[in-house]
Amino acid sequence: MRTDFQSIILKLQEFWSNQGCVILQPYDGEVGAGTFHPATTLRSLGPKPWRAAYVQPSRRPADGRYGENPNRLYRHHQYQVILKPAPADVLDVYLESLKHIGLDPLLHDIRFVEDDWEGPTLGASGLGWEVWADGQEVTQFTYFQQMGEIPCDPVPAEITYGLERLASVIQDVDNVYDLTWNDPQGAAPMTYGDVALQMEKEFSAFSFEHLDVPMTLRHFEDAEAMCRSLLDSKLVLPAYEYCLKGSHLFNLLDASGAISVTERAAYIGRVRALARQACELWMEMNHG
Amino acid sequence: MAEWLLEIFSEEIPSMMQQGAQEQLRVLAEAELTKAGLGFERLRTFSTPRRLTLVAEGLPLHTPEHTEEKKGPRTDAPAAAIEGFLKTAGVTREACTLQDTPKGQFLFVIKKIPPQPTEAVLGEISLAILKAFHWPKTMRWPNSSTPWIRPIRGFVSLFEGQIVPFTYAGITASKTTQGHRFLAPEPFEVSTFAAYQKKLRDHFVILDRDERRTLIAQDVETLAKKDALTPTQDAALLEEVTGLVEWPIALKGTVDAKFMGLPFEVITTPMRVHQRYFPLKNTQGNLANAFIILTNLKTKDEGKAIIQGNERVLRARLADAQFFWEQDRKHPLEQFNTGLKIRIFYRHLGSLFDKVERLEKLAPRIANQIGAEASLTQRAALLSKADLMSQMVNEFPELQGIMGRYYATHQGEPAEVAHAIEEQYLPKGMGGPLPTSLPGISLAIADRIDSLIGFFAIGIEPTGSKDPYALRRAGLGLIALLLNLSLSPQEILAWAYEGYQWDELSPPLLKSKEETIEGVWTFLLERFKFYLRDQQGSPYDHVEAVLSIAGNASTLADLAARTAALGDLLKTEDGKNLRAAYKRASNILKVEEEKEKYTYDGIVSEEELKDPAERNLFAMLKAKHAEIICLTQQGEFNQVIRSLAELRGPVDTFFEAVRINVEDETLRKNRLHLLALLRKTSHLVADFSKLEGEA
Repeated sequence: MRTDFQSIILKLQEFWSNQGCVILQPYDGEVGAGTFHPATTLRSLGPKPWRAAYVQPSRRPADGRYGENPNRLYRHHQYQVILKPAPADVLDVYLESLKHIGLDPLLHDIRFVEDDWEGPTLGASGLGWEVWADGQEVTQFTYFQQMGEIPCDPVPAEITYGLERLASVIQDVDNVYDLTWNDPQGAAPMTYGDVALQMEKEFSAFSFEHLDVPMTLRHFEDAEAMCRSLLDSKLVLPAYEYCLKGSHLFNLLDASGAISVTERAAYIGRVRALARQACELWMEMNHG
Repeated sequence: MAEWLLEIFSEEIPSMMQQGAQEQLRVLAEAELTKAGLGFERLRTFSTPRRLTLVAEGLPLHTPEHTEEKKGPRTDAPAAAIEGFLKTAGVTREACTLQDTPKGQFLFVIKKIPPQPTEAVLGEISLAILKAFHWPKTMRWPNSSTPWIRPIRGFVSLFEGQIVPFTYAGITASKTTQGHRFLAPEPFEVSTFAAYQKKLRDHFVILDRDERRTLIAQDVETLAKKDALTPTQDAALLEEVTGLVEWPIALKGTVDAKFMGLPFEVITTPMRVHQRYFPLKNTQGNLANAFIILTNLKTKDEGKAIIQGNERVLRARLADAQFFWEQDRKHPLEQFNTGLKIRIFYRHLGSLFDKVERLEKLAPRIANQIGAEASLTQRAALLSKADLMSQMVNEFPELQGIMGRYYATHQGEPAEVAHAIEEQYLPKGMGGPLPTSLPGISLAIADRIDSLIGFFAIGIEPTGSKDPYALRRAGLGLIALLLNLSLSPQEILAWAYEGYQWDELSPPLLKSKEETIEGVWTFLLERFKFYLRDQQGSPYDHVEAVLSIAGNASTLADLAARTAALGDLLKTEDGKNLRAAYKRASNILKVEEEKEKYTYDGIVSEEELKDPAERNLFAMLKAKHAEIICLTQQGEFNQVIRSLAELRGPVDTFFEAVRINVEDETLRKNRLHLLALLRKTSHLVADFSKLEGEA
């Protein structure tokens, strides 16, 4: 069985497609996690059934390490699944998906360890677990209870695979940059490092050393203002997009150390207010 | 005699909640069975990550016959009210019984409830238990209108092997359950508890938590022994792991030798806290390069892949730690203090840097009071928070203080300074170890007092269950620290208040120094009452009795000793009698004082004492009064109490021989003064009127 990075993704696509999910593409803007994709945030609200799965490159400026840390990344990849309502056998289905990508639960110690999730910038929370494979957290599993401070009814299940960590377990590799990305037997075999190392180096340098703080602060203000005006115009998806921009700009400022601890809470509150209003508008327009 | 089996099968329950849930299930079941009149011989409950199970043995086949009484209106109530009552009760007036009560004659309906088959009530009982169940946190999931800790996926509910039907959370009770999630996932049916437990074992589940825990402890021990190693004792970790596995298998992993130069805590924290491994020690008591993983799986490769995986995870964590260890030591600790300027302590209380500057002044002043080296204490205060800016503590917050000690030692600080930096965080909880070094004690006290004074000054105090800044814990810690010292906190509270640059901080609300100190002191005394009850078993009223006379100048050590001594006194025959005599005296005084609008102050005129018994009592009181004052000043509270107890004889004789309310007004007044002197002398020890319960 192929265990290279892209094969794991392809198999997950196939698996979740067979579970009746729409297979989506990553959100085409910077986000911190797959949860921020409107396919999860907005679609997890309201009564309409929804099943989606997609890869989401996720940017965490504060985790940038110039490519020098074996498992911490400025940009990592999540495989995100959202199932609304959460089916009763959701954990069994999830475990099937692990088998499907070559993680045999009779050889690897899979454990569900309590981890209740909170996304303060989204006003979201849920109960669930981090799923361990041989002591490595490979998935965050959450039953959403609220999103944008609105209760989720019916309750969706969110499955977020950490693709790099999962691949590390499956390929038994210590350093993320040594993961095979495509067929190692192929014409142009590539490692994770070959594909992503340059980005890690440059973006770490960007966010830690070259970020123009006053300009970024201004951009944050602009994104917030744009979001508000779009909310007024009842354009929920563009409005939400500007909320995401604000969220990413905040992450950049936070990583650069430009925001003090007290200010931090205030910025998070501002992003949360935008997310909440976008969610409210989504519900008000009966999109849920 | 029959058996009832109930299993609540769910998705994985948080480990640390399982034991409490198991106990709660037992308590609720016992209450519900008792309410239904169902006796039992034995009731046991069990918990694993995926199930809560109850078995009651020796239940009767029927509920006992019993009567139900329903109270109606008074017999002279309006006809409509009586009519209504009869209608709802479904009886005629003739069928009612009349009963006289202090409020008049009432109609009663007394119904005989015939015995019911036990299985007919167990469904209701199951529902009552499920509804009454309380979790620290709950969630909703589809198709269930009732919350639980995680989705419920099944119930086994059997009485004598037959299903007791009920439906809860959208799930109907059955006789089917499942074993281990991976090793034997197929469902199976059960009939009796014995078969249930046996089949679970066949399906790789050890139901009994105690058995699992013992097994894990033994396996860890045995596996360690193979290499002449011993596991570090950690009851909390053992309990947590017991709640993470249904079929425990211990495996041994190895730590890469290149990490063994890292500090002990840096290696063991990721092991214990993040990965739930048991660190091992060698015969010399040093950390060994091996650890034990508790897994939930027996594999055909003998756990090879699992060990590899876990070693890889630990390697990654230790590689991070190694990097931080090297980076952090490149800078002197003082340099980290600059970073503290942007770390806010609290909005109107300045940055952590400001706090350090205050501690640099406050801690040495405390040090002077308790005989610690002031200059070392000041140095420790200066470096006390620096490690909070280190990369290591940023990654492993549990290592605060500990890294401070390592980094201070590394840069050649005196041992006392390094030690005090670590000890400032002690005690960590009730009854936890205290700092052992005097600079450590000074710093620990200074840090807590600085926080309490700051928050109280700007009007932030714990209310009800809310205490976001952990001030209660700070208060309790402070009490534990002060108890062994003869240090009056009042003065230090004032210094702490004066240490804040209030002009610069300009909080929207600022209490005066006096008001702040008063608030903190009252708060501390409240915590102190709690502490004394918890730690030395002193009831609240004893503490109250001592506190109400002790005054603000007392040290907490003093107050604790007084309270303990009072408790001892009240246990003795003499003490009980003395308390009764005190009560008698103060009651008489109360009546007279209210009548006369006059307070007797115990100024006895010696020549007016006629009866030998009163002369004797006066002589005793005079002597004791002086003695008790003297002994109190010396802090000899046990002697104080012994001295006070000796009053019992003369007091008893006095009450037997002497009448108070005599015609002769001078004599009467003098005797009342004598009683007042008894009251006054007793109050040197405690205000006995604050004691609750019968004397």
